[in-house]
Amino acid sequence: MKWSAAGGIVLSLSRFAGAQTPDFLERETLPGRGVPHPAIGRVDGVAKVTGAKLYASDFRAVDLPGWPAETHHALLLRTPDASHVYEGLALDGLGADAKPATIIAAEDIAKIGLRVPPFYTGDLFCPIGTTPLYLGQPVALLLFDRFDAYDRARTFLRDNPHLKFGAETGPLTRPNYGAFRFTRVAGATPDAPDLYSPIQEGWISPGFVESSGRPVWQVLPDAKGADYVKGATYGTAIRDELAKPAAGTLVLDRSFATQSIDPMFLEPEAGLGFYEPGARKLDLVLGVQSPFEAAEAIAYMLGEAVPDFKPASIDGKFCYVGGGFGGRDHTPFPLYLTLAAMFFPGRPVRLAHDRFQQFQGGIKRHAFKMRSQIAVDRASGTIAAFAADHVLDGGGLMNYSVSVAVVAGTGAIGMYNVPKVDVTTVAEHTRGVTAGSMRGYGTVQCLTALETLVDEVCTTLPLDPIEFRRRNALKVGERTLTGNPYSVSVRAPEILDKLDGHPIWRNRAAEKAKAPAGVLVGTGVACAAKDYGTGADCSLGTVEIDAEGRISIHSDAVEMGNGIGTALANRVAGHIGGIADQVTVAQVDVFDALGLVKSGDPYSITQAEQDAAAANPRWVPEISSATSASIGAHVGTQAASEAARVVFRFGLWPAALAIWGIPAADPRVNQSDQAFWQGETLIFSGLPPLSLKALAAKAHQQGGVTGAMTHAFSRWAWSEATFALPGGDWSADIDALAVRRGSGAFQVLDRKAVAFPPTDYNRIGTSFASMCGTTLRVEIERATGKLTIAKAYSVVECGQALVPEIVLGQSQGGFAMGVGQALLEDLPPFEEGPGNGQWNLGRYVVARASDLPLHDLEIEILPPLSPREPPKGMAEVVMIPVIPALLNAIFDATGHRFQSLPVTPQMIKGVIG
Amino acid sequence: MMVREWRLPALMMAAVLASAAATGFSGAGISATGAGTLAAPADFAHIADPKARSAAYFTELGKVLTNPRCTNCHPATERPRQGDEARLHQPPVFRGLDGFGLDSMRCGSCHRRANFDPARMPGHEAWHLAPPEMAWEGKTVSQICEQIKDPKRNGNRTLADLIEHIGKDTLVGWAWHPGPGRTPVPGTQAQAGALVEAWAESGAACP
Amino acid sequence: MTALSLTINGRAIGPMEVRDDLSMNDFLREVLGMTGTKFGCGAAQCLSCAVIVDEDGASATRPTCIAPAIDFNGLTIRTVEGHAAGGALTPLQVSFIEHFAFQCGYCTPGFLNEGQVFLERLARDPIPRADLERTLTEALDGHLCRCSGYVKYHEAVRAVVLADVGRYLT
Repeated sequence: MKWSAAGGIVLSLSRFAGAQTPDFLERETLPGRGVPHPAIGRVDGVAKVTGAKLYASDFRAVDLPGWPAETHHALLLRTPDASHVYEGLALDGLGADAKPATIIAAEDIAKIGLRVPPFYTGDLFCPIGTTPLYLGQPVALLLFDRFDAYDRARTFLRDNPHLKFGAETGPLTRPNYGAFRFTRVAGATPDAPDLYSPIQEGWISPGFVESSGRPVWQVLPDAKGADYVKGATYGTAIRDELAKPAAGTLVLDRSFATQSIDPMFLEPEAGLGFYEPGARKLDLVLGVQSPFEAAEAIAYMLGEAVPDFKPASIDGKFCYVGGGFGGRDHTPFPLYLTLAAMFFPGRPVRLAHDRFQQFQGGIKRHAFKMRSQIAVDRASGTIAAFAADHVLDGGGLMNYSVSVAVVAGTGAIGMYNVPKVDVTTVAEHTRGVTAGSMRGYGTVQCLTALETLVDEVCTTLPLDPIEFRRRNALKVGERTLTGNPYSVSVRAPEILDKLDGHPIWRNRAAEKAKAPAGVLVGTGVACAAKDYGTGADCSLGTVEIDAEGRISIHSDAVEMGNGIGTALANRVAGHIGGIADQVTVAQVDVFDALGLVKSGDPYSITQAEQDAAAANPRWVPEISSATSASIGAHVGTQAASEAARVVFRFGLWPAALAIWGIPAADPRVNQSDQAFWQGETLIFSGLPPLSLKALAAKAHQQGGVTGAMTHAFSRWAWSEATFALPGGDWSADIDALAVRRGSGAFQVLDRKAVAFPPTDYNRIGTSFASMCGTTLRVEIERATGKLTIAKAYSVVECGQALVPEIVLGQSQGGFAMGVGQALLEDLPPFEEGPGNGQWNLGRYVVARASDLPLHDLEIEILPPLSPREPPKGMAEVVMIPVIPALLNAIFDATGHRFQSLPVTPQMIKGVIG
Repeated sequence: MMVREWRLPALMMAAVLASAAATGFSGAGISATGAGTLAAPADFAHIADPKARSAAYFTELGKVLTNPRCTNCHPATERPRQGDEARLHQPPVFRGLDGFGLDSMRCGSCHRRANFDPARMPGHEAWHLAPPEMAWEGKTVSQICEQIKDPKRNGNRTLADLIEHIGKDTLVGWAWHPGPGRTPVPGTQAQAGALVEAWAESGAACP
Repeated sequence: MTALSLTINGRAIGPMEVRDDLSMNDFLREVLGMTGTKFGCGAAQCLSCAVIVDEDGASATRPTCIAPAIDFNGLTIRTVEGHAAGGALTPLQVSFIEHFAFQCGYCTPGFLNEGQVFLERLARDPIPRADLERTLTEALDGHLCRCSGYVKYHEAVRAVVLADVGRYLT
């Protein structure tokens, strides 16, 4: 895809088609046609066990056809101090053999007309004479001709001070990034409309802040803030009720703090850039979760630059990524790679973090401070009201802080139906390392607070924790905190039944009773409902079948380990019978035939604007979105799946009818949905089975549809459109379609009708959620506080599991990451934290195999409710209940409720004496 | 606070920076020298009581013996510790039968003949753990003193052997040259050897 | 600068002059372009950079990020690129794929090398079935994986052992 962004720079993005091969596209498409591979496994399996060049960190200039052979190197220097005035570099200590060829700092970029993309607002480099905005803020980019000089400088500067600082100013203060209040008051009966909800009234923010920057949540008369006053009045009433509970009501009021952690994807951020001044072409090799956004941000940055720094075109080549977990979604790293390339014209340059630098500069998970209040009717064991106040440490740049705050705020009541809810949230600027997207995205934090609080309610009432959850679980059709129901299945009853029946939970008392001397045994349980999707999710996909029956798939989704390529192949196979032997991901440049255009912001567009724009059959609200938010299965495969359905219905099915000799008037002509695949054989009751190969040959021979290309968009519901195809109108959850007949070229079809999801769906917090429950048993050594997870069980529902082995693997990996967040991982804030540039693994401990119950971890994936139930996102939810389940088990073992993470052996030892 | 010293970069103080620049940045509060000193035996001459003076020598030596550079690999458990914070060694390694690790992960896989400063990796050709009976982790100077005199718990060494071991052994000597990212033990190895010698010659009294 | 010669995946490399403080990891990745061996932490914590060193009739893995290249002078090593001879995957490679052992795959070269060394060690010196799980955990525990939770890596290695118990177990 090529499109023009700000300043008229032509952008194109491609799946990086790599190295050392003349026919690179075929070689870089996995598993590759004719490449031997085991019958089962991931499409990228062979490449990954043979060390193929796949990741951005693998490529050097010599690997790229047409580039100069030599790679040059860039070193990004960041500040370990954000409390004193920065006075410049002091690189005198660098030896002659370690000197940079070029240094880029704030004063250099000030001269060339750069614009900082709004998402990354803040100085790209700290200007001399100012206090750094945050720890880890870049101060300079050093460019080296030779690797050896770079390598010497990197080591020397890591170990030696090289920045000058002057007067102490203290950290800079900045306004908070965002503050919201989510309040809902249900009607008197379940069927009655809500008295107040964010869906009805819109989202509200307070109109005043204190001098400290904290929002003023109280109701203050304000002519401009009538919306806030209305909502806050309801919210204040809830607070008053919690402060003066009625007789027979239990109220608990607790605080909980969660720590900052690092996504710790194993491949540090890296990339390669090359600016050809003659052609004014910027080539970039990158590994990010958001290729489209990265290219747009770069184009914006350079869009009004002086001529020497304004490329005519940018070609982004996007690679497989070595782990993401959110931390590669909207990272500023590509901006710095771009600067390195632009300031070194004609010379390919590589920017690659080492692990110290990745800790110092990479996106972190938000630390939260939460106060939670819950009122429970003692007689019925039902939640009467809930209130919470969240404060997020957003670090130095805004990034996704507002979004994370909203997700946590709207997710704060987890799986429960609560008639009165009042949640305030504020995301603050601090001098810490920037926090942004990470797996669990606000929900890890708020549900750890909630599920430990619920456990305390249960022991206080007392009431069995599973029974309490049964009584309070949101049922399908009931309203969430924002006032809308989930539009997907809600399977709390089954999850709770599974947990209740599991031996870990059943045998908890007996296991505790038989704890050996010196060992404390405890069992915990917790559940999570986690949203998936972002409210503006896109999918691009192409499916083609050749006359031999071989299938190719192209997608814009990024493979970050989540198995998207394999999921694509499996979902497409469900429709057209065969597993693709050519799957290409992270690709945006092969969908030109759709001719898509966009305008405005999908989150803030008005209904009138959307209605007007939709008249253009090429218009969509957004073209491509990041691979994040657990959308791999649900969104990432949507376009290819719909394309496969078109190929079947208008290519393979007509071919089948022709082979069977079924006349047009036969009612079976319209019964394509009665046919199904057994492997590569199409079965239709009463007719001879047909092979995919024969069908493909026939489809090609008769000029049927042999390829389809689609775009899909979801704002908590899919866009729907109707297209005229030979054989009838076709309506589907897509908004753009191009088809190929026989071996012809793709031709775009104008949609006959289209329905984009209404713009007021942007008020929905979430309408897609999946659930997971965990129960586990811990054993704690009295003498040391050392905790061992003896047995664990997680049950997850995700609709149709496209690749069950990968769903299982993600669940196991989520369990490990949950253990890390609960017990091991910790980044202290500020000067002692990662922004000081001295953090690496070893000091930062993530879960190893020996920390986990490898042989005693059972994962159960609930089968879909119906064969028609689509896949649901699951990769985030699986890590969440693990954390509160551990804390609840620790309570069961020790009698102590920890109110912060991580819980270390020292802390446990401290409370068991 | 000393354990964190190398992580408090002189960065924020121009004056310190200037002095670092003057010495070619070699200091940085990180490497080789200067992080603490040891008193010489002569400094204890004012203590009249020979036994008290002998104990004082050992107390001074205790600054070395209780330093993470020493206790990390004289661990109380099967697992060494690491860094100035004396955190448990990552990746998880264990003493093994010979003190050189398990079959699957030997000390020498990573700890090679010498420090490799570009990776802050400490090294020595004999890198290994002290045997369990020589564990110092978590012990007081007095306890270590009694232990170090006991041939059953000191590797069957005489006092003369101890002078040699602490004053000359090159693996012990590593503790004064631990490379970037780790604070050296105080003083010099020769000074430590002199303290052992003075202590041994004065009756090897324990504090 | 020091002259370095070694054998990688059966191919003689060098002699070539390298800086004494050039890491083996950078020698492989920057000098030879062999990027199958990964860089993860630079501190021997994750072992994604580990290669197999064949020495004295036995083999062991060794991280490359924390040692100078010249430390490998005269050695024979194997990297992830060298396992599949003539394009035929080894049983362990096949098992990794069939068990969906990895997700992003960045730690896979380290696990593959460690698993292969483990299998070769058992083939030389079989162990009782009862010791398999402990020995396997000890062998793999130095390797970090952030995606998989390790279960499937262990399943994949175990499956190769159990498919040929006569060879690997007593």
